[in-house]
Amino acid sequence: MRWWVAVAWIEELIKEGQKSVDEVEVFFVKGTSVSADLRNQKISLATTAYDCGLGIRTIHEGRIGSSSTNNPDQWRECLTAAIASGRLATPMKWDELPDARQLAQDPLTFDAGMIIDPATARRLLEEMLAGAAEHPATVTSGSAGLSGAEVTLANSHGVRYTDRHTGISLSLEAIVSQSTGYEFDHSWSRDRVNPAMVGERATFFACESAEGKDIPSGDYDILLSPLAYAELLGNVFVPALNGRNVHAGRSRFASCLGTAVTDPQISMYDDPLMPGANGSSRWDAEGTPTRRVDFIRDGILESFAYDIRTASRYGKKSTANAVRGGYGGLPSIGHHNFVVNGKRDTVDDERILYVHNMVGAHTANPMSGEFSVELSNAFWMEDGAFQEPVRSAMLSGNVFDLHKVIGGMSRETRTIGSLVLPSVKIPKQHIIGK
Amino acid sequence: MDGISYYDLRHVTGEVTHIDIDNSIVESAGTSFFNKAILRVLDKTGWGILQIDNYTPCSGEKFDELLRKASRLAGITQESVSLGDVSRGILPVPRLLEDPRDVSIEEKSSLLAAVEKSAMHPDVVNRRANYVERAEKVRFSDSSGNEYSYEMSRSGFNVLAVASRNGNIQMGYEREHTIHGFNLRQHLDLGKKAAEIAVALLDAKAVKGGKMQAVLDPELAGVFAHEAVGHASEGDLVQEGNSVLKGRIGQRIGNDTLTIVDDPGLPEFGFDPVDAEGAAVKRTEIIRGGIVNAYLHTRESLAAVGDGVAGHARAMPGEPPLVRMSNTFIESGDSTAEEIFAECRRGIFLKGSRGGQVDPGRGIFQFNAEYGYLVEDGQCTQMIRDVSLSGEILTTLHGIVLCGNDRMMSPGYCGKGGQSVPVSDGAPHILLNDAVVGGSGVD
Repeated sequence: MRWWVAVAWIEELIKEGQKSVDEVEVFFVKGTSVSADLRNQKISLATTAYDCGLGIRTIHEGRIGSSSTNNPDQWRECLTAAIASGRLATPMKWDELPDARQLAQDPLTFDAGMIIDPATARRLLEEMLAGAAEHPATVTSGSAGLSGAEVTLANSHGVRYTDRHTGISLSLEAIVSQSTGYEFDHSWSRDRVNPAMVGERATFFACESAEGKDIPSGDYDILLSPLAYAELLGNVFVPALNGRNVHAGRSRFASCLGTAVTDPQISMYDDPLMPGANGSSRWDAEGTPTRRVDFIRDGILESFAYDIRTASRYGKKSTANAVRGGYGGLPSIGHHNFVVNGKRDTVDDERILYVHNMVGAHTANPMSGEFSVELSNAFWMEDGAFQEPVRSAMLSGNVFDLHKVIGGMSRETRTIGSLVLPSVKIPKQHIIGK
Repeated sequence: MDGISYYDLRHVTGEVTHIDIDNSIVESAGTSFFNKAILRVLDKTGWGILQIDNYTPCSGEKFDELLRKASRLAGITQESVSLGDVSRGILPVPRLLEDPRDVSIEEKSSLLAAVEKSAMHPDVVNRRANYVERAEKVRFSDSSGNEYSYEMSRSGFNVLAVASRNGNIQMGYEREHTIHGFNLRQHLDLGKKAAEIAVALLDAKAVKGGKMQAVLDPELAGVFAHEAVGHASEGDLVQEGNSVLKGRIGQRIGNDTLTIVDDPGLPEFGFDPVDAEGAAVKRTEIIRGGIVNAYLHTRESLAAVGDGVAGHARAMPGEPPLVRMSNTFIESGDSTAEEIFAECRRGIFLKGSRGGQVDPGRGIFQFNAEYGYLVEDGQCTQMIRDVSLSGEILTTLHGIVLCGNDRMMSPGYCGKGGQSVPVSDGAPHILLNDAVVGGSGVD
């Protein structure tokens, strides 16, 4: 099988672009997805989406241009717009796009057995509903989605990479009186999601949180589930490791390299080749071969994330952390599989306030790290079991500061988007009761 | 065609122009193009939907084939769907005072650079300004013979200033977005305001959480209305049983002074001349005089739930229409701002918004102010930072005891179901008793 499927217009586009600019990069994605949505217990709609997008980036004398379109037949207009866009950009130091490398070609996030059709989506919803039936909560809504896409990256240095991806995503919401429960799962592989458990957990949390009691304001030891932890980490901590934010003065870590920024038991790294993980990839969005990047090792800040643009400007090398949110716009700095790791232990034996989810974490201050959020599905927990539910309370603190006092990490790990996280125990956090 | 009781097609093409200036460097500037369509087919038991990138309008057998494809999808649906009757008609799109497309991107870039430069200050370590302009051509048609088309242009900018001193980092953020045309010339010094707030926040203190009296400025009070009432009044959530406002039409949840409205026809940032399923848009009073009065609806949720009007369907290009807010606001009352501060006496005054979130089934919401001040003896004193408010839909609204006479609208974007649509929120100054305030300060 040929992994680079020659597309004549891409070759022509690059050739045409090189007449006007130093370097040309083409990103092309084409895919199909199917989803089905539940309203209450019934399937209310089914959707098929045909996605197609072309993104072009040009670099000429340090000026970066870009444009995008849904219509690959209009690549000439798109190329013209990208070159025009580059003329407006400020010229900056730019190394160069990567050359082609011999990379292994078996896809890392592609499930050849995944059937992307409405019948599969319906079966997934049925399995979720069967799981949901284990607890007496009402299912309000749910969704099952399947997708497949082919992504091509080509540049004027000879890079011609094509990768295939599949995706499956499940979610269910349930309610008992005014107590809600929500659960989801996602993966590139059908075998790595558990629809029945998604249903069961959604109705479990709705039931278990009913009859919650208020708690008085005070300082409490808390256990953040991976889901709650992901909200704070993703909105505040991860952006502070982004090289562009660091050099622009938008990161609290700007002058902290080599110093302790978290409790010594914590390590954070990007592992792009983690087996089975959702974000695994052999090349980043600019075609740089990926590798593990250790941001924090045993509490010490060791590295920031870079793409070619930011690395070129500040005398660094790309860490292969370029990502694309879609075919449009320029690549930006992100990660593939962001892992928080360290010594794992039992964290729920002593009485502790467990926080499953939170409302409003995106309103945290990304610069200072200050946040105050409303808790969702919070419980007193002891000996590994949920005890009394907490009806409503706010949690206030600072995302950077709480990492300095992490009291333990659970043995279990959960993937939330591209974050691979344990539950974390944090002593003495400020709770505001109602 | 067999089994198909209704279909509609919404095709949107357009261009997006953007400019990103970061510490005086033009990082990127240019134009991109999009072409997206959505075909919805209502079969006996539910919707079959095709989302098509790069759609070429077609008719005859080619279009019939698309209908058949969508109809086959509907084969797995199990719900009996009815569509409510709606009024028809399209509002004129407000005239652009200056069409952004008549301004060269070079001039836009140089004006944005002036905005960014106006944020210069010795304590400001980063300035960033973004301009975005989106021109859309929307064509709608349905199986009942309704056809609409219109063009809309939305444009505006954000400016961020980051101030830093001894490891303390704070930010000021200003934004202006509009449907009325190119707006950079009128706001060339907005960066200065962002810088002044960022620098002042370096000396602000964190508030200690707890219950207190709060005065909310029009922007924050607008977000309060959006999060506390707007989402829970969305007919699809009511239909699912995922809203605490279900079954509460006619019930009192606030004081006589409180009226909360959503009006897609208002010429603000959330304006739609016609909704995303071809229904005429209409002002809806969600809360009238403190009493739950109406829900926001699509045709489907109207038929299923009642108590309200359709015309509130909104969608991103190529995405399915959902019940959404547009321009949501608390109506002005008759108090002056001075009276509100005098009545507050001791508490906090909160300004600006970093957004919010709601769990409508649970009836709990949270939203966050950009900054504020302590209020002592009715006067603003010490500046405070990082303040959130949380509340419960069914009880907190009773705490709105005074509404000012100075309503203003602020533009923004609202996310739901993976779609982000332009909205505006607004209110007069309001006084909120027993506000639950989250903050990390200590005595």
